[in-house]
Amino acid sequence: MLAKRLLNGMMGQLMPSMAPPPAARKPQRRRDRLLSLLSGLALLAPLGGCTTGRQWPNVVYVAIGANKDQLITAELKQAFQDQWMKVGARFRQIHPDTHFQFGIYPEDEMVEVMRRRSRSGLAPDLLLVNGDTALRLRQAGLVDPFPVHKEQLAIFNEEEVRRLRSPDGQLAGLPVLVQTQLSCFNRQRLSEPPATLQELLNATANGHPMGLSLDLYYLFWIVGSTGALPAMDRAVLGHSLNPADRQALTGWLAWMQNASNQQRVSIFPDHPTAEAEFKAGRLDWIPCRSTVLPQLRRVMGSALGVAPLPDGVGHRASPINRLRVLALGRSSSAAGRRRALAFSYYSVNPLTQRTLTLGSQTALPANRFVTVPVQSSQVLAAMVTAANQGLQANSLVTLVHTNDPRIPRVQTLLTELVFGERNPEGATTELIEILQARP
Amino acid sequence: MKELLLEIFGWLGYLERPRVLLQLGLVIAVVLLTREARRQRWLPALPMIAYPPLGLMALGLGCGALAGLGMPQGLASLLGLQWLGWYGINLLHQPLARWLPPQRLHQLESRLLRPAYLVGSALLLIREVDNFNDIAVIRLGELLGVSVSFGKLFNALVVVYLVLVGCGPPAAGLAWLVQRSLGLSEGSRKAMELMLRYLVVSLGLVGVAMHLGINSTALIAVAGGLSVGLGFGIKEVFSNFISGIWLLFEGSVRPGEVLMLDGDPCEVRRLGLRATLLWRDRDNAELLIPNQTFFTAAATTYTASDRMRRSQVNVGAAYHHDPAAVIALLEATALEVPRVLPTPAPKALLLTYGDSAIHYALRFWIANPMDNVGICSDVNQSIWQAFRRDGIEIPFPQQVQYDMAWPPESHTSNHSPAP
Repeated sequence: MLAKRLLNGMMGQLMPSMAPPPAARKPQRRRDRLLSLLSGLALLAPLGGCTTGRQWPNVVYVAIGANKDQLITAELKQAFQDQWMKVGARFRQIHPDTHFQFGIYPEDEMVEVMRRRSRSGLAPDLLLVNGDTALRLRQAGLVDPFPVHKEQLAIFNEEEVRRLRSPDGQLAGLPVLVQTQLSCFNRQRLSEPPATLQELLNATANGHPMGLSLDLYYLFWIVGSTGALPAMDRAVLGHSLNPADRQALTGWLAWMQNASNQQRVSIFPDHPTAEAEFKAGRLDWIPCRSTVLPQLRRVMGSALGVAPLPDGVGHRASPINRLRVLALGRSSSAAGRRRALAFSYYSVNPLTQRTLTLGSQTALPANRFVTVPVQSSQVLAAMVTAANQGLQANSLVTLVHTNDPRIPRVQTLLTELVFGERNPEGATTELIEILQARP
Repeated sequence: MKELLLEIFGWLGYLERPRVLLQLGLVIAVVLLTREARRQRWLPALPMIAYPPLGLMALGLGCGALAGLGMPQGLASLLGLQWLGWYGINLLHQPLARWLPPQRLHQLESRLLRPAYLVGSALLLIREVDNFNDIAVIRLGELLGVSVSFGKLFNALVVVYLVLVGCGPPAAGLAWLVQRSLGLSEGSRKAMELMLRYLVVSLGLVGVAMHLGINSTALIAVAGGLSVGLGFGIKEVFSNFISGIWLLFEGSVRPGEVLMLDGDPCEVRRLGLRATLLWRDRDNAELLIPNQTFFTAAATTYTASDRMRRSQVNVGAAYHHDPAAVIALLEATALEVPRVLPTPAPKALLLTYGDSAIHYALRFWIANPMDNVGICSDVNQSIWQAFRRDGIEIPFPQQVQYDMAWPPESHTSNHSPAP
C-alpha cells in the first residue's frame, strides 16, 4: 500500500492530464486522505517497532566473499549454506527467532560493494572474508573494529591476530577458519603423491600428467619449495638483495620454466580450467584449495587423494592459506550489532568450530584449542601440514594483499617465462624491480 | 521458490535500522508534500510541471543534510534519482509526440519505456540490499527435466517481453525497406511486417527455450502433446490462427484490403492471431471477425488485383428528350466530378422505358472503394445541376384517377366530350 501510494504520488506529479472529472474528485480526495493516513501509519509503525524489536524479523545479514577462482553458482551457494546454516540452526537454540540471510560477493569487489551499501545504510551486519580483505575494508573505514577482549584473543594464533590488526591497532575481524592449499591427486593413477618437487617431475617423466595454472596464488607454494621465500620477503620489504638471494629467485623461475618444458606438465591460464581437467580424469595431480574438496569428491569419489604440497630439498612448500574472518558492517542497528556479535563469538567456540570444520573437512578451525583428529583423517592431516607450511608465507601475505597491482605484473612475467619469451636470469631482474616497487 | 520468497522477505529486516527508515521517511514525506503542494497550488505562479523539480530539489537538500551529518543517504539519493528519471521520461513525451503518431507513442511509452524503467529501477534497488548473482542462482524448480534458476527465468521473461514488444519497429522498418526496393503494395508491406513479427517471436521463443536448456526432444514431445490437445480442446483458436497465417500468405485478407461485409465495404485494419479487425466507414464501427470466417466463406473484395471500383448511379429522364443527348450529357457530367477516374471512361446506358421516364444508368470508376457513397452523392448532384442547366426534365411518376361507375358498361371518362 505504501509503495502504491508512493508510486501514485510520483505519477500524480507528472501526469496532470490524467486528472479525474470533477464528479469523481470528491471520493478521490477522501481516498487520498485515507491513503495518506495509511502511509503515515506504515511509516510510523516500524519507528515504533524499533524500540521493541518485535515488528521485523531478527535477521543477521552475512556477506560472504568468494575468491577469484570461485564462480558464484548454485553449488557454491549451497556449499556455503550447508556449512553455515547448521551453525545458524544451533545458534537459534540459544537465540530463537534469529534468521540468517547470506549473500555471496566476489572478494575483489567487496570494498566497492561495501562502500555503496554503507552509503545507503544497508551494509550487511557481518562479512565473512579473507583476512587481508578485512584489513582493506577496515582501512577504508567500511567495517567497524571488532570489539574483543585480550583474553578472548588468546584462543587464536598470535601471529594471525597480529596480521589482522590495522595500523591503528584495531582488530579488523575475528578469525574463524583457515582454508588451506593442498595437492589433489587421482589415487587410481598415482598410488603415492609426490612429496618433493623432484618426485613431481619424476612422476611426469613416468607418464603422469600434472596441471599447474598461471595464477600466482596457485604457484606461490613453489617459491617456498625452491628456497626463494626469504629472498622474496626481502625484495618485497625493499631491502637490497645479495647474489644468493638472486640465485634463489632464479632457481624458482628456472624450475618453473623447466616444468613448463616437460611434456606432461600442462600450464593453464586459470585454475578452474585445471580443476575441470582434473575432474575429467585428464590430469593426475593439481594443486587445490581445501574448499573445492567436496566438489571434487562428488565427481571423483574415492579416487580423490589429498596430500600436502611437495617440499623442496631442505625447504618447505609455502602455500598461501586463507584466514577467513568475520568483520562487522557499519550499518547495523543496535539490536543487529548485538546479534552479529553474539553470532561471531558463537562461531569461534570449540563446539561450533568443530561443526564448521571437521564435518565438511574443507577448513581448519581458527580456534587453536580445537583438536583436529589427524590420526583418523588423511585429509585433515594434510590440511594441518599445509597450515604449518603456510606459516612461513604469513609475512609476505600481510605485505601483498590480493588486489595488489604487483600481482598481475608478476603473473605477466611468469606467463612470458613459461612460454620461453624470457630467460630465468632476465626475469629475475624484472621480478625484483616489480616486487620492490611498492604501490 | 521458497528460497526466493525467504530472500525477499528477509529484506524487510533492514527496516529495523533507524537510518534506513529515516531515508525512506524523507523520500515519502517529500513526495507527499510535493503532491499536496501541486494539488493545492501553494505556489500559484508556478506551472504544474515545475512542482516535481522543486520536490527533487528539496529531496536533494535533505540528502545533503544527511550527508553533512555523516549519516547514510545513498538510498534516499537513489530513490530521488529514480524519481528524476521518471520525471524525465514524462518530459520526453512532448518531443517524441512531434516524431511519432499518438498510437505509436503510447505503445512506446506504455510497453517499452516505462516498464523498462521500472524494471531497471527495481534492479537498482535490489542491488542495494542483495547481490544479483546470488539471487540469480536460486533454483525455482524443474521444467521438462531442466533445473530453472531465477536468473534464467528472469532473462527468459525479459527476452520474451522484448521480442513481443520490441520486434514491431524493426519488422516494420525491414518491411518498409523491402517495399521500397521491390515496389510492393501497401497491403503486401503490412503482410510482410506481420509475418516478420511472427517469425521473430517464434525464433525468440525457441531461443528462450534453448537458453533455459530445454532440449529439442522435450520440445518436440510437448509440441506433439499440444497438437492432440489442440485437436480436441482449443481447435477453434488454433483454426483461427492457422487461417490467419494462410490468409496472409494467400494475400486475400491483408491490412488495407477492402472487403464487402453485409453489403458494406469494410477496410481490413489488422489481421490478428484469432480475429481480423475491420473498419466500417458507414458508422465508424470496428468489427472483429474470426479469421476462419474468411477462410471458409465466400467474400467479395475490391482490392484483390487493384483498388479500383466501378460504381453506378441511376437516373430517369422524360420521354421527349433525345436519349443520345442525355447519354452524352451524363458521361460528360461524370467526367467533371473530381474523384471520378477519367480512365476507364464513364459510360452511360439506357436501361429501360419506365412508366413515366426513360431509365438511364451512369457507370464510372473510382480509385478508393471506401469512397463509393460519397462519390455517388457527388455524381448525383452534378447530374441534377447538368439536367437543370440543359433543360432536361426528371419526370415525376404521374397517375390519372377516374370515378368508377357500376355496371362498368356505364363508365365514362372524366373528360367526356362536350355535348
